[in-house]
Amino acid sequence: MRKLGILLAVAVGLMGLAQTPKLGGELVIAFGTDPESLDPNKITSAPAGMVLTHVAETLLTMDENLEIRPLLAQSWKLAEDGRSLTLYLRKGVKFHDGTPFNAQAVKDNLERFRKATYAFLLFPRVQTIDIVDEYTVVLNLDMPFAPIVSHLTHNFVALVSPKQIAEVGDKEIMDPVGTGPFKFDKWVRGEYVRIVKNPDYWGDKPYLDAVKFLVVPSDATRLVLLETGQVHAIMRVPPLEAPRLRGVKGVEVVKLPSVRTIYIAFHYQRAPFTDVRVRQAFNYAVDKEAIVQTILGGVGGVSDAPIMPLIFGYAKQNPYPYDPEMAKKLLADAGYAKGLKIKFYHPTGRYMMDAAIAQAVQAYLRDVGVEVELITMEWAAYLAFLRKPLEESGFDMFMLGWGCVTLDADYGLFPLFHTSEWAPKGSNRSFYSHPTVDALLEQARVTVNYEARKALYADLIAFLWQDAGWLFLHYEEQINAQRTTAKGLIHHPREYILAHKAWLDR
Amino acid sequence: MIQYAIRRLLLAVPTLLGVSMLVFGILRMLPGDPATALAGVHATQEVVERIRAEHGLDKPIHLQYLGFMKDLFRGNLGKSIRTALPVTTEVVSRLIPTLELTAVSMVLAVLLGVIVGVISAAKPYTVFDYGSMLGALVGLSAPVFWLGLMLMLLFSLQLGWLPAAGRGDFRHLILPSVTLAASSVALIARFTRSTMLEVLRSEYIATARAKGLRESRVILRHALSNAMIPILTIIGLRFGALLSGAVLTENVFAWPGVGRLVVDSISARDYPVVQGAVLMIAVSFVFINLVVDLLYGVVNPRIRYD
Amino acid sequence: MLKRLVKHKLAILGALIVLAFLVAAAFAPYLAPRDPLKSSLREARKPPSPTYPLGTDHLGRDLLSRIIFGTRVSLLMAVISVGIGLAVGTPVGALSGFYGGATDMVTQRIVDIMMAFPGILLAIVVVAVLGPGLWNAMLAVGISFVPTYVRVVRGAVLELREREFVEASRATGASGLHIIVRHIMPNCIAPIIVLSTLQMASAILWAAGLGYLGLGAQPPTPEWGAMLGEGYNYGMIRVAPHVTIFPGVAIALAVLGFNLLGDGLRDALDPRLRGRL
Repeated sequence: MRKLGILLAVAVGLMGLAQTPKLGGELVIAFGTDPESLDPNKITSAPAGMVLTHVAETLLTMDENLEIRPLLAQSWKLAEDGRSLTLYLRKGVKFHDGTPFNAQAVKDNLERFRKATYAFLLFPRVQTIDIVDEYTVVLNLDMPFAPIVSHLTHNFVALVSPKQIAEVGDKEIMDPVGTGPFKFDKWVRGEYVRIVKNPDYWGDKPYLDAVKFLVVPSDATRLVLLETGQVHAIMRVPPLEAPRLRGVKGVEVVKLPSVRTIYIAFHYQRAPFTDVRVRQAFNYAVDKEAIVQTILGGVGGVSDAPIMPLIFGYAKQNPYPYDPEMAKKLLADAGYAKGLKIKFYHPTGRYMMDAAIAQAVQAYLRDVGVEVELITMEWAAYLAFLRKPLEESGFDMFMLGWGCVTLDADYGLFPLFHTSEWAPKGSNRSFYSHPTVDALLEQARVTVNYEARKALYADLIAFLWQDAGWLFLHYEEQINAQRTTAKGLIHHPREYILAHKAWLDR
Repeated sequence: MIQYAIRRLLLAVPTLLGVSMLVFGILRMLPGDPATALAGVHATQEVVERIRAEHGLDKPIHLQYLGFMKDLFRGNLGKSIRTALPVTTEVVSRLIPTLELTAVSMVLAVLLGVIVGVISAAKPYTVFDYGSMLGALVGLSAPVFWLGLMLMLLFSLQLGWLPAAGRGDFRHLILPSVTLAASSVALIARFTRSTMLEVLRSEYIATARAKGLRESRVILRHALSNAMIPILTIIGLRFGALLSGAVLTENVFAWPGVGRLVVDSISARDYPVVQGAVLMIAVSFVFINLVVDLLYGVVNPRIRYD
Repeated sequence: MLKRLVKHKLAILGALIVLAFLVAAAFAPYLAPRDPLKSSLREARKPPSPTYPLGTDHLGRDLLSRIIFGTRVSLLMAVISVGIGLAVGTPVGALSGFYGGATDMVTQRIVDIMMAFPGILLAIVVVAVLGPGLWNAMLAVGISFVPTYVRVVRGAVLELREREFVEASRATGASGLHIIVRHIMPNCIAPIIVLSTLQMASAILWAAGLGYLGLGAQPPTPEWGAMLGEGYNYGMIRVAPHVTIFPGVAIALAVLGFNLLGDGLRDALDPRLRGRL
């Protein structure tokens, strides 16, 4: 799976390199939602991250093959004890306003981030930031935190000019001044964000004059816009439309992995799900393969771990086969031979085909004697509903997705399974709790050695799988599409389309 | 009449006060708050609480309301929680595209609706009458997203005459305003036809006919002016509905209008923006309804204002 | 003569269409060829065929059976929400228009407030307070219809109250209520009927939007508006057009039936035409 995704991403990249790039032009990318902000501290969504990453760069970056690479930091070193990270910065870089990039700029940014970021999970352990010299910074952690390097690649940890930081004070940044290949130009809310070429970029200069990110909420409309050539690339093609779109001339469909796992969580502290046999029975009762193939049109894969295959720490398990008889037997063993009534909450319009999948799960469970009441909620109400503490929790099962954006198992497992992360504090909304799991999660966090960490996660995942804390469903893939005249676009698993090296073959 | 209009405008103040109170209260009755909505799936409680504190959402509700009212009297609608922009800027910038769309589609709907309605009433129970009725009902039953997409496929993809979506020059306005007008045409045409029929049956028209006036004159001069009141009512209602209810059309055509802003802001529980937008929409309603009421008097001078 | 006959026949046609839908609603379990909830993913998105006369949806459910069962929910949705708007809006509008003055001023300002209030916000509130589900969705849609009725009826009444026959009745000392019920209301029937028959379509379509926000009838309840919405939201309009077209046709047909019936009804109730037909 990992191979396939990489091949696709590379293939699209290579097509651009085969010809001599042409200079100039404005490339238009259509996406579904307006960024909520372009302030690194305030952004929480992929669309916002996608725009920002062209303008404001990070210290480290993760390329489309999910390898960690230097960006504003030329190299880095994690201390043996895992308690500090030294970053050696790139020289000769300037922010768009002419301010030089140096250790002080990094410190100013990270201090601001630490003080008020919304993406707090990304940056939990940094205590102090030391400037060693003009181009060397050390981050000191309060305890070893192995995933820190991958956290620094995340686009929310993007750096802006220290001059701008001083100017805005406590206010929000509206027009980020970064070091990126493009400069912020204009943002018409609800309509588009436009960025223009930075002629003084420190790296390879971009070919395009400008990139416009067009907000087009309707999936169907984005397709028409691409087909008419009004835009050059679109995100989130509905899976059922992909086969048709592949036959359209001048259009290229790009399928690539996403880092989001979709799961159904059981209320771990409440009957009937305190019984592992019931949890396993539910896993046997649902035909995940049919859901992925038919409802998702093959855009995704059946989960074989609580995190998807591209994430560090992934360890493949055998998916519970579709076996309604086994499910019935397990339910009977657990004392539910006569059936069972369950309240199942799910979102609608949030994840790919979410409500349809919930209905399919309901139908499968009905076949093994489980009567499922489906309850759907408006998203903000749903979030609040799932943030209630144990005593007030009202669900038996719920569906949710988790994007492991750091590409490190810690972010994909710790917040969801560790006892200290129980709602409302963290994201363990199903009140999962097991001493073995807690111990392994904690140990993996402080283990710096690559192989040793990997082994810990393998043990952990094998345990979670047997324990069936979730009804394991699937991980999503994404389908983007582009005109064949748009060359060198990079479709990134973090749900970005990157135009850094793109050009238009006009 | 002028006195009446002034009184009405003065009464707008308590009306708007009522709107603001209602929206303020109801928003806070909704499950979820801006902090949970903004922070999203990945957030920790710590962040949620910080966002609450940043925006004063942790204060008692009556203090929040007082603060809101204080700002309001200074003409300050506050700042968006999601985007940090002043609400006034945000709402006005989104109200303009909506007004464009509404105005064009209303002109279309009124012209087409009244013409079709009048002809149908003049020639009732004919092929034209039933044909137009069928057309109107299809226009009414077709969901906006379906109709919009069909128009796009035909005029943008097949024929290449018009841009499919987005805002730009006048050509961008055509498809969304036609889509938006469709259901209004149906309503206006059916109303016009029905009231015209009613009027045409009255003694008053019989007298006009008996005097030997030409039929076209009877219909246009005498009947239409008498049928104007229900038609005006419907036009006023549609205008209002389009202002706040063009969400679906705005979505389909990626039109950056206020309907989308309101819905997005409700989803994000962005209290200040919803409050501000509803308040400004309410102002437009007060005006529309006032104009309609004044026009009642113009088309039928017997209607008094008191 | 011929015209009157045609008119009559069309009203009967309207009645027949409505009746057909009522029968479908009442006898859905007997008429539907299959279980409307039974999904079979292997049979998903099949075009119309002898096995599935109208094809299947994205979960492989029989579309014909879902449309037949959907009659129950959708007609109920249409009738109840229009009923709420009608029952509340008509008397308020009539009183407001007839008495004018302070009564009118106050009612109309309340209407201003209601109209400015976004329907979706109202729906979320109702669902938040009363819980999700069909009845509450109908209530929300019904409430949002009220201002329309108030304005339409008031407009009609404003004009009627200046007419000679009302003045005459007033001169004889008849009470306000008497005049409204006996003289004004019968003359308002036409706009009310037209409005109601047309609002039914809006009510059903509203359900599509509410369903998408998780505020309408809870899945898998078959319901026309939600079926349309699924066709759109899941990207099936172009690749499996039957999924959207057939529920759309059902809505259009129902609205047509109600309209034809409404036209006939109006003629039957029109005081000036009474006895002439």
